[in-house]
Amino acid sequence: MREDRPIEVAGARDRLSSIGRVVMVGSGKGGVGKSVVACGLAISLSQRGYRTGLLDLDIHGASVPEYLGVGPPVKSSKEGLEPKSSDGLKVMSIGLFTGSNPVPMRGSEKQNLITLLFGLTNWGELDYLVVDLPPSMGDELLSAFGLFGRKSTLILVTTPSPAAVAVVSRLRRLSETENIPVTGVALNMAYMKNGKTKTFPFGRLDSGVLEQRLKSRIIAEIPLEPMVSAQELGRALSRRADFSRAFVSIIRRVQEQSNDGDLAHRTSVVGR
Amino acid sequence: MHELSLAQNIIDSVLSEADRREAKRVLEIHLDVGELMQLDRKTLLFGLKLLVTGPVLGGAHVHVHLKKASFSCRKCSHEWDMAEAKKQLATVPDGLLIREPDSKELPLHFLPYLYPAFVHCPKCGSSDVSAEDGKEVQLTKLVMESRR
Repeated sequence: MREDRPIEVAGARDRLSSIGRVVMVGSGKGGVGKSVVACGLAISLSQRGYRTGLLDLDIHGASVPEYLGVGPPVKSSKEGLEPKSSDGLKVMSIGLFTGSNPVPMRGSEKQNLITLLFGLTNWGELDYLVVDLPPSMGDELLSAFGLFGRKSTLILVTTPSPAAVAVVSRLRRLSETENIPVTGVALNMAYMKNGKTKTFPFGRLDSGVLEQRLKSRIIAEIPLEPMVSAQELGRALSRRADFSRAFVSIIRRVQEQSNDGDLAHRTSVVGR
Repeated sequence: MHELSLAQNIIDSVLSEADRREAKRVLEIHLDVGELMQLDRKTLLFGLKLLVTGPVLGGAHVHVHLKKASFSCRKCSHEWDMAEAKKQLATVPDGLLIREPDSKELPLHFLPYLYPAFVHCPKCGSSDVSAEDGKEVQLTKLVMESRR
């Protein structure tokens, strides 16, 4: 018997089998600080000894390389494209290939690009892959849901702005129809602290109303850190207790959700 | 180097498909290789022939076909081919080239879908361009002998 049949070549499934948990950080809305939250979470995990990768899926506006101070060129090996290392954190982003070139791209080609970028990267064995999702609910987000669905969870990022919450609630609904579990809400730019005084530059929302609206618990309130820049993010995590504590809270909730089990041990490291 | 790891991926896919289709042997493997990736055909064939061994794949004939890339501009409808695109790709800064152990390669070698970042319309200069074909490696046909 003879058969003719076209087949696509891809290696993404094999890579995924070596990753413990995928934590997607998204909002649907631009300007709420998704990338800072994704970077902060990935750095925090890595600093606590977890083998961690960070995949920047913002094709048109990649900012992760800037936040983490990494850039082109990328090296390759027989295992694939080597992610950049930022103090042990494995980082991959389209920005590492395009530099300052704009990336005008349409439709399904983005899905293919994302699948290739993830599948070709030599992540090795990871405990966590943090995925920085771009704004909107288009190709990139749907591609990530399709790629990582079964072993992923979603952190919803919003600011206290009602406009931001309105958009994030749409992403929450999408997560339901696509069967993507949600760990909770990271309320970013929640307040500023000057000594012991808290101010709320973007206003305050009733947490109960917010949780009801987003059908998810608030798992972290992240203070606005005016100093957070490419060079300052890691420093802010080690020096600013409130800032650091917010990410510890996110890690704890992700672990509780997935019953990773070794939280008590890791918490003792966290508490130093 | 990418060609060799690609060869392994291709063979993994062939074996997976052969198993799924309950094939006793694979007789022919037909492959389209996208021109945009600028793969070294000889190296790819070398890698594939090294891996075509064992009871299922042993003796299988491998056919690698170059799938031409063609470009068009969404703004002015101008069309051009890979030869023209190569002129633009030759200007990609050295700092963006991927470091292989013994060479430097364009990002498109690994990520052909990134072409809009590097190719623009040679007539009007627009970056809103489209590439037809030539962007992927695809198994187009397997000829297999059934176990039954």
